[in-house]
Amino acid sequence: MKPEHEAWASLREHAASLITPGFPDRVLRAARARPSPLFVAHFAMCAATAALCLAAVAIYQSGVSGDDATNQAGWSEIAAQANELDQGQ
Amino acid sequence: MRELILAYQRRVAGFAYAITGRSDSVEDLAQMVFVKMARALDRLKAPEQFESWLFRLARNTCIDHLRRQKLRRIFTPFAPEHENVPEPAGAVDSEELDALRHALAQLRPKDRALLSLVQEGRSHAEIAETFHTSVAAVKARLHRAREQLRQHYHSDET
Repeated sequence: MKPEHEAWASLREHAASLITPGFPDRVLRAARARPSPLFVAHFAMCAATAALCLAAVAIYQSGVSGDDATNQAGWSEIAAQANELDQGQ
Repeated sequence: MRELILAYQRRVAGFAYAITGRSDSVEDLAQMVFVKMARALDRLKAPEQFESWLFRLARNTCIDHLRRQKLRRIFTPFAPEHENVPEPAGAVDSEELDALRHALAQLRPKDRALLSLVQEGRSHAEIAETFHTSVAAVKARLHRAREQLRQHYHSDET
C-alpha cells in the first residue's frame, strides 16, 4: 500500500494546486449572487411552447372548420339543384 | 465563512479530483460545493457534524456532475476522439498519480468517494454518517473497493 499512499498524497497535492488564488472571494461573491431561477425559466419555456402549440392547433382548426362549412354549403346547393331536376323530370 | 473555505478548500479539491479524475473541473466543483455550503450553513442543525455534512455535499455535487455529463452525452454523442480527452500536458506529472487516476477511473464514483474519505483519515463511523449508512456496510464496501483499486493499480503499473 506504500506506493498507493504516496500516489494519494500527490493526488491531493495536485488537486490543491488547481485552486487558483482568490478562490474564497470568488466563492463568497457567487454565494451572494441570487441563485439562477433555473426551474422557473424551464417552466416558463415549457408553458410558452405549449401555448404556441395550442394557438397553432386552434388557428389550423378554425381554418379547417371554415372550409368545411363552405364545402357543406356547396354540396347542399348541388343536392338541392339535383332534387329540383329530379322533380322536374 | 472565508476561514472555513480556506480551511477546507484543499481537502474538497482533492476529494473532487479523486471522484471525477479531471483537473479541469476541480475548481468549478469546489466552488459549487462551497457556494452550497455558504447558502445552507444556517440550516445545519448539528455544528459538530459539519465535516460529514460538507463531504456529503461534496460527494453529491460530484456524483450529480458525473450523472449530468453522462446524460448530456446521450443527447449529444461525442466523437470517439472527444470522448476521453487526455489531461492537459503537465497536469499530471507523476507516474504514481497517473496510475492511481487510471485505477480510480475503473471504480464506481461512490467507491472513489469512499476511498477518498478514508485517505482523508476519516473513521468508519464518520463515513457511515456521511453516506447515511451503517458501519458494517461501509466496511464491506471499503474492503471491496480497496481490492478493486489494488488490482487496477498494480495492473496499470505492470
